[in-house]
Parts: sequence; structure tokens; C-alpha cells
Amino acid sequence: MELGLIAIGAGLAVGLGALATGIAQARIGSAGIGAITEKPELLGRVILLIALPETLVILGFAVAAMVMILLPG
Amino acid sequence: MLVPMAKVEIIGHRDRLDVTLHLLHGLRTIQLIDVTSTPGVRLPPLTADEKQLRELEELRYLRTRLDAVLGMVPTPEGVGRSEVQPADLQALRAELEELGPELELLTRRLDDLQTEQQALPRYLESLRRLLPLVPELTQLGGYETAALLIESRHADVLGDLNTEMTEVAGDLYEIITAQVDRDTIGAILVFRREVARKVHALLGRIQVSRVRLPERFEGMPFRQALASMERRISALPGEIEKAHRTITDLVEPRRVWWATRSAIDARLDELDAIRRVGTTHHAFVAVGWVPEPDLPDLHSALEAEVGPQVMMEQIATEPDEEPPILLRNPSPVRPFEFLVRLLSLPGYNTIDPTRLMFVFLPLFFGIMLGDIVYGLFALALSLWVGRRFGARSPAMRDLSRVLVYSSIWSVIWGAIYGEFLGNLGHELFGMKPIWINREEAIQPLLLFALAVGAIHMTLGLLLGLWEAARLKQRSALIERMGRLAALMGLFLLAGVASNQLPVGLMTPAVAAVVLGLVGLMYVQGWLGILIGPLEMISTFGNVLSYLRLAAIGLASVYLARVANELGAAGPIWVGVIIASLIHALNLALGIFSPTIQALRLHYVEFFGTFYESGGRAFRPFGSATPAPPRTSSA
Repeated sequence: MELGLIAIGAGLAVGLGALATGIAQARIGSAGIGAITEKPELLGRVILLIALPETLVILGFAVAAMVMILLPG
Repeated sequence: MLVPMAKVEIIGHRDRLDVTLHLLHGLRTIQLIDVTSTPGVRLPPLTADEKQLRELEELRYLRTRLDAVLGMVPTPEGVGRSEVQPADLQALRAELEELGPELELLTRRLDDLQTEQQALPRYLESLRRLLPLVPELTQLGGYETAALLIESRHADVLGDLNTEMTEVAGDLYEIITAQVDRDTIGAILVFRREVARKVHALLGRIQVSRVRLPERFEGMPFRQALASMERRISALPGEIEKAHRTITDLVEPRRVWWATRSAIDARLDELDAIRRVGTTHHAFVAVGWVPEPDLPDLHSALEAEVGPQVMMEQIATEPDEEPPILLRNPSPVRPFEFLVRLLSLPGYNTIDPTRLMFVFLPLFFGIMLGDIVYGLFALALSLWVGRRFGARSPAMRDLSRVLVYSSIWSVIWGAIYGEFLGNLGHELFGMKPIWINREEAIQPLLLFALAVGAIHMTLGLLLGLWEAARLKQRSALIERMGRLAALMGLFLLAGVASNQLPVGLMTPAVAAVVLGLVGLMYVQGWLGILIGPLEMISTFGNVLSYLRLAAIGLASVYLARVANELGAAGPIWVGVIIASLIHALNLALGIFSPTIQALRLHYVEFFGTFYESGGRAFRPFGSATPAPPRTSSA
């Protein structure tokens, strides 16, 4: 039972992080494409901006990994 | 490496200006600065004289005509540029004028054919809809027909038409109507040829849309028009092709025209540059940026080609002037310049991160996509892309080379993790990892990713420190020191907390964190009380961000395992197909995602520690046109 809850927690940590990243990327992505259409030289900076929110899911992954590795032991 | 730039002043006799500009244009080593806007040099700009103005006009005319002609055929490969003498230009003008009318005629014919090709199918459609209404009788002599299309909601027009036709033609006419589609009624009017003129006038008066056929089909009976229109439609592509070929045959033998156009462009460039040159009664003064290593070559070229009437000297850079940026790296590293440029060029006198990207970017890619087979596939793909598109697109060539390095690292890390299409190597022939199996040893993998992040970030901060010290930027120096100290302290704390380091290190660790925090707060002023701790957390977050090196890789490992297990579940041939499809998907994701992630780790985390962007690219005079032909004196 406890292991199940731990797994659910880990899943939520990654899943909610991914969801938040997705919401942020959707907005940045559409704005970014608009910007590139006007100024193609902004491509690099737009990639950077789109990649920024990925930190959220990576932090979620870090929490999930900690929950999975540290708690059962 | 950022090439140091020298600001030079070229002074010479006005007679030698043309020769000097021609030489500089060909050498492509100086970026001219507008003398009138250069602080320190105050001279009126040189204006073109009458002869130059005439030349300018002539060249612009020829350029426009050439553009019009050359635009009709695709540019052949490897046309380069020729040296052009005034006599050549006269010949070109004569030839263009002779060929012009013929080409114009051909182009017009091509246009007509293309318009016809677009219009005929529409006529054909109307005709087909009306065809069932046409009585065979009309093919007999003495009668004419007119086809009408009437919108259903205006059907009452037909009644008026009937009344008026009785007036015009008596009993000798017939109107056949039928619904051709939901909104349209088709009507065919059959009448005696004698009353044709009156009927046409009537049809012009009342508001119906008459199906008028193109000129060449007018007067033909319907069925015949339909058949000949179909024949025409099938013949058109051939005729268009023929017209194209005639134009190409006319233009293509004059391959030299492309080279001439480049030569004209070059000369226009030179004439345009005159405005940026300053002048006195007898002398001209040109100012520009030259890469320092190229100075001696430029010096000797000026001496040899222009002579002693022109001299060049290096002048001081104004404090607020920012020299243009030229990256020059050894050829294996050069493709990575593209990735630096993709973000923005570094500022002058800062660090060029290209070589660091050459070391770390492929390595990170390999750590993420560590699989022997995937790596080999990616290698083959990047070699193919490089060969297929590299010649045409420099960006593709650079990108494919970056991918070549990356996929080699991928194969190496594949061996380190013991991965061969995921766990397939282990299942089939008991392949063993050199270091760890990612699937099982998640904890060491995560720690490894963090360690890579810590090393990368520390390296960046050390570079940032060095740069700040060199440029005497006090606040940047304190800020970077603060981040470094805080980072070290936090790592020591983590080590002590997890019993990996002796408890005695606790005090130095806390001291480092506090010192770092104070440094970070100090540089921000009063706001630092809030921003300082945030900065510290974000620095730590940046290191955690390197966990993606492990996370992206793990996702790929699990997907490969899913492919293998699904593949093993059913009959062998279904299994092979399913497994191949999932592996192909994994490979596509596995090439795209690590590239983006490795780039992001550089752009955001690594560059954030030291990179100063904002440079303008070095655009030497003459680089906009193809290189001049090599002559014996060059």
C-alpha cells in the first residue's frame, strides 16, 4: 500500500511538472513562432525561451527520483 | 576564437581611389566604416563624379535587364564571377537589346499559355454541364446556339427572355432549360443564323451570364468545342514545356551572363562605397575594420597593386566604438560557430564559446542517447544529410557535422552503458556495460548527471570570473564569486548531509554559502535582500537542470525496452515490424530531443555564467558578391 502511494506521488511529481511545462511552452511556442516569422534571426533565442520551462518537469523528475529512491529504504 | 580587429585608415591620391576600392572589394578583408559618421575623422564624403554617375546608371540598367532575363531560368551551379571590361558591357547591352524583343515575345507566349492552362478547365466544366441540353439538330447548318447559365433564384428572367425572343425571331427559335446543379439553371438558345445579331444584342441587354468560349472555340458546335478543348488541355503542358525550353535554350548558352551579373554587382558595390569615403582636395580617406592577422597581407597587397600613392595606418579605436565580430576556429570546431551564431554573437573582447561547445555539446548528446545502434544510425543519417544537402546549405552542413561528432559520442556511451537497441544486446548475446546499466543503476546515473552539471557550471563560473577580472567589471566579479562560493558550499552541505563527507566540513560549507549569499545580495543593492537568495536558488536549480542528461536518456532506454518486449510478444514477423517502428520513433525522438536539450544546457545554464552577447558580425566589403576569378597577380 505504502509503495503504491509512493509511486503515485512520484508520478504526480513528474506529471504535474510536465503539465505545467506544456502549458508554458504552448504560450511561448506560439509567441515564438510569431516572432520568428517577423525576424528569422531570432530562432536561437526562441529555442532558448521554449526550452526554459522544461526546468519544471526536470525538477519534478528530481523530486520523483528522490521519492522513489530515498523513501522505500 | 574571436579575431582581434584593427581600425585602419587608408589615405591615397584621388586618382587611385578606383584601383584601391577594386582591390579592397576583391580581398574581402576590410569592413568599411562611413567616414562621415566616424568620430575622430571629420571629412566631407566623396560624391561620385559625372563619369561615375553615368557608369552607375548604365550598370543599374544592365542589372535590371539581366535580372529580368536570368529570372526566367534556374541559376546554374558554379557560375562564379568574371572580370568585366567596358567593352564587354557594351557587347552585353547590344546582345540584350537584340535578344530582348524575342525574349519578351516568348515570355508573353508562355504567360498566355499558362493563363489558358488555368482557364480552360473552368470552361470545360460549364460546357460539360450544358452538354445534355444541346440538341443534335444544332449541328446542322443555318442555326446558331447560345449557352446561358442562370442562377436559380433569378429563374423569372427566362420568362422575359421568351417574350423578347418571340419579338426578335418569331417562332423560329427554341429555349431548352434544365437544372444543371442546385443553384444554376442551364439554358440553350437555338435560333436562325439570320437573326443572330439581334439575339446577341438582346442577350447583351438582359442580365444573364452567357457562357462565352475562348476565341479559338467560338462558333464551333458544342460537342466539337468540348472535344477540341479536351485536346487542347492535354496538349498545353507540352507547349508550355516547349516554350520554357526555347527560353532556356536562348539564355543558357550565355552562362557567362551570370558571372557578368556578379561582376556588375561587384562594381556597383564599389561605386556605392565611394559615398563612405572621405575626401580632401587631392586625397581620399577610407576607414575600416580589418582582422589583425590579415593586416600584413592587406599592407603588401596595397603596396603591390596600388603603389606608393596609397598608404595605410592603424588608428586608435574610440572608447564607445564596438568593433565587429569575426569568429575564426580550426576546421573541426567551425560547425559549432553556427550554433553560437544561432543565439547571438559574443561581444567584442569576450570569450568565444565555440571550442567549449565543441567539447561538451556532443558529449552531452552522447550521455543522453547512449546506444550503439542508435548512434550508428544517427551517424549514417548525419553523413548522408551532409553529403546530400551540405553543398547547398551551409547551415545543413554545419548541423550534420555537429551530429556526426554527437553520434560518435553516442556509440561510445552506448558501449559504456552496454546498450544495443536498448536491452536487446544484453538479451541476445549477453552484452555487458563497461560502467553501469542505466535501467538498473538510476541513482549513480543521477549523481553522475549532477556531477557533470557541477563541473560544467563551475567551469563556466571560473571563465566568467576570469573575464570579469580581465575586463575589470567589479560587480560581475563579485556576483560570479558569490555564485561559485554558494554552489561549492551547497555541494559540501549535501555531501555532509548524505554522510559522504566528514562532519568537520560542515562549518566551511555553511561559511561558503553565507559568503556567497552576501556577495550576491551586495551587488544588487537594496533589492539584493530579495534577489540574492533567489539568485542562489536559481544557480542551484541550474545544476539540477543537468538531471535532464539522465532523464532524457532513461526515457529513451525505457522506450527501447518497450519496443523489444512488444516485439517478442507475438509472431516473429509481426514482432520485428512493431519493434522496428517503435525503435524508429525512439531514434527520431532520440536525435531531436538530446540536440535541443544539449543546446539548452549550453544556452541557458552554461552561457548564463560567463557569456556576453551582443556582437555585430564582421561583413567585409565585397563579401556580398561571389569571389572574383583568380588572376595570376592575385
